[in-house]
Amino acid sequence: MSNEVDIRLGRRGFLKGVAVAAANPLDRKLLLASGGLTAASAAQPTAALGAGANEPALAAPEAGYESLSPDEAGFVEAMVNVMCPADHLTPSGVDCGLAAYIDRQLAGGYGKGERLYMRGPWRQAKPQLGYQLPLTPEQFFKAGIAAADDAAKKKFSKGFAALKDDIADGFLHDLAAGKVTDARVPLASWFNDLVYPLFTEACFADPIYGGNVGKVFWKMIGYPGLPATHARDMTEFRGKPYPAAQQPKSIVDFS
Amino acid sequence: MVTTLKKRTVVICGGGFTAGLIARQLTAQNLDVLVLERGGDRADAAEAKLPSQRDELRWDARAGLAQDTAVQTYSLRHSRSEEALPIRRLAAFLPGEGIGGAANHWNGQTWRWAEYDPIMRTRLETRYGKNAIPAEMTIQDWGVTYAELEPYHALWEKLFGIAGKAGNLRGKIQPGGNPFEAPRQDEYPQPALPPTEAGLIFTSAAESLGYKPFPMAAANSPAAYANPDGMRLGQCQFCGHCERFICEAKAKASPEVLLYPMLLKRPSFELRTQAHVLGVDYDRDAKRVRGVRYLDLMTGEAYEQPADIVVLASFVMSNTKYLLMAGIGEPYDPQTGAGNVGRNFCHQTMSGLNVFFKDRWLNPFLASGASQTCIDEFNEDNFDHGGLGFFGGGYIYSNVTSGRPIGHRLLPPGTPSWGTKWKQANADWYAHSFNIYVHGSWYPHRENYLDLDPTYRDAYDQPLLRMTFDIRDNELRMSEYVTKKAEEIAKACGATIVSPPTPRKGPYDVRVYQTTHVTGGTIMGADPATSVVSPHLQSWDAENLFVVGASVYPFNAGYNPTGPLGALALRLGDDLISYTQRPRHL
Repeated sequence: MSNEVDIRLGRRGFLKGVAVAAANPLDRKLLLASGGLTAASAAQPTAALGAGANEPALAAPEAGYESLSPDEAGFVEAMVNVMCPADHLTPSGVDCGLAAYIDRQLAGGYGKGERLYMRGPWRQAKPQLGYQLPLTPEQFFKAGIAAADDAAKKKFSKGFAALKDDIADGFLHDLAAGKVTDARVPLASWFNDLVYPLFTEACFADPIYGGNVGKVFWKMIGYPGLPATHARDMTEFRGKPYPAAQQPKSIVDFS
Repeated sequence: MVTTLKKRTVVICGGGFTAGLIARQLTAQNLDVLVLERGGDRADAAEAKLPSQRDELRWDARAGLAQDTAVQTYSLRHSRSEEALPIRRLAAFLPGEGIGGAANHWNGQTWRWAEYDPIMRTRLETRYGKNAIPAEMTIQDWGVTYAELEPYHALWEKLFGIAGKAGNLRGKIQPGGNPFEAPRQDEYPQPALPPTEAGLIFTSAAESLGYKPFPMAAANSPAAYANPDGMRLGQCQFCGHCERFICEAKAKASPEVLLYPMLLKRPSFELRTQAHVLGVDYDRDAKRVRGVRYLDLMTGEAYEQPADIVVLASFVMSNTKYLLMAGIGEPYDPQTGAGNVGRNFCHQTMSGLNVFFKDRWLNPFLASGASQTCIDEFNEDNFDHGGLGFFGGGYIYSNVTSGRPIGHRLLPPGTPSWGTKWKQANADWYAHSFNIYVHGSWYPHRENYLDLDPTYRDAYDQPLLRMTFDIRDNELRMSEYVTKKAEEIAKACGATIVSPPTPRKGPYDVRVYQTTHVTGGTIMGADPATSVVSPHLQSWDAENLFVVGASVYPFNAGYNPTGPLGALALRLGDDLISYTQRPRHL
């Protein structure tokens, strides 16, 4: 049956993938730097941890932005670096590809309003009726950046990207809590319903989309990724650490 | 310019789950069947092949297999006094598109409903008194009994290779199964899936409280399986990509694996894909339909397709919309209670809480869509509702279907939403937590209904279907009560952390997924005054029109809707064979 062929291919691909990862010094380094041995890392010596902050453990993401202007990119980079600081778990948000992911989503079908019903009339209502603005997600994202940056300038006399990390972090919490307002842009909904989901996707989606560089977030939590042919694993590793979770595989490893 | 095509015997609108089962019965007798499906064939597409099948962003977060909201969506208002707005991105439930429909992207969770479900109103009146059911709860009997449907349940389970453990064989309660199960004639065609670690923990906790846990019946095949038609399932890989995904291992029993490849080889069967049905042609005086109109999406041309018999087998919402647009039957009026088309619209009342274990490995990625452990003590009328102030209930279960990392990470209460502490909590708890959930009933309410939106239109310039809909007191009280029972189990699990329970609250929120189990709109019943179709699913207002789908359920049970739909569809297939021999009110 064709599915059996698929599975066998998957197994071969899996083995090949493991060999590649082991041979890749970047991957090994990352594994150490991220303490990527995840929840099992409770038992790891902590000396190796923390190195991630100072070492460029990851290959730099592709340079350049498709959608974001330099100012917008500055905002997004500062934001993802606050939301994902370089620490013992991962490199910084920018180094993890989070800004690149957001840029590519905005530039692609999602950002342009794909699968979004865009006919009028346009009215505003309670939040439980969902998004009701005549802006594409890309347009709304940019309108929100401009409004949030204006609010930061009013409050701190400098733009968001120039704020110190702890001040910027507090500002983002205020945005999420609806404490930063704008006369025209609904900033709480902008942050909670558009920005935040993009942030978590950037961390945890397959790396083919530009975020989660080196599968760093999958390693952090211990998600093994592909091929996920677990018919035997399901009982063999029930209730036990799953070793392959330390070296996850993504779509790229099977393409 | 509309071209009129040659008349066909049976034309089925929608190429999904029920259409495939009906066509199986009809074409086995060599009866002429044409299925019109708006989508295409996904069997060899990116969504059905490795590695692209395992793309959580594309198929899950972006709902890549679901109906394209830009083309067709619904509007919502919470009450008649409000103005409805379009749901601009579907998320609360996800209709499918393409051969197999929504049954391609189901989890595989399989239930026969309770023996009393088809006679629910009678049951509640008998047990609690004639006046116990509130006036606004428009719950009613189906007009068919479980016993009549049992052989069709059995046939459907064999066709789909359902894996489970019987709890009630011919009235005798079986250890290890669901003691509340409707009586079965035979064991399940395949043995139950193995439990997950979460299932083992749940089992100990539930047993310590005196409950009888059992494995959920599953359409995820535990081994290679050949059904009575010679169609085959592969072995489930516990990959955690069931719901919102097509199974690349062909191990999840689905129409595009078990039905359509076989049907396409039968000489009397024809399937037209990218054929979007625009409407049904109704002859009001003759109380018959002439056929349907559809748009060929590949050419942009419209066709009239005459038929002896028309079957509406599309999603709940579309079945209702076709009747409303054609003026078949009287639209429901909530003010007077008159009319039936659009009434008793329901969804599923979901709720739960999370448990976290410092020293146990839950490995949520080692799971299938239905490898879950359940108790049924607090479902529907399996417990005494005397003095409780509500009807209904739900099954409680260890809800591990996947460890897909965008959507299936659980974090303890108080975890910040980003930063180092957030990352640390993800690292600490991802593989060490699970969710205990309640899959709850939703009973009909006089003010919950469907009609045509007066303002918003779809890409075919037809009105959107409008939902006037909210969660009402009965479901809020039920959810409060049963979620507390789930919390008691959670506290008996020996967890390091138990999150606060989250019973369902209003208002109904289109941003939150709540299962794809919407029901009602074209409900079945024995009395034409209170139903749209007869117990044989035949329209009361057009003798040669039949409607099948969860739109015929008069209410939504605490059980998943697929099992009885399989039984109803196979039975309808047999009814149509009889009808072609002697057309009449069945």
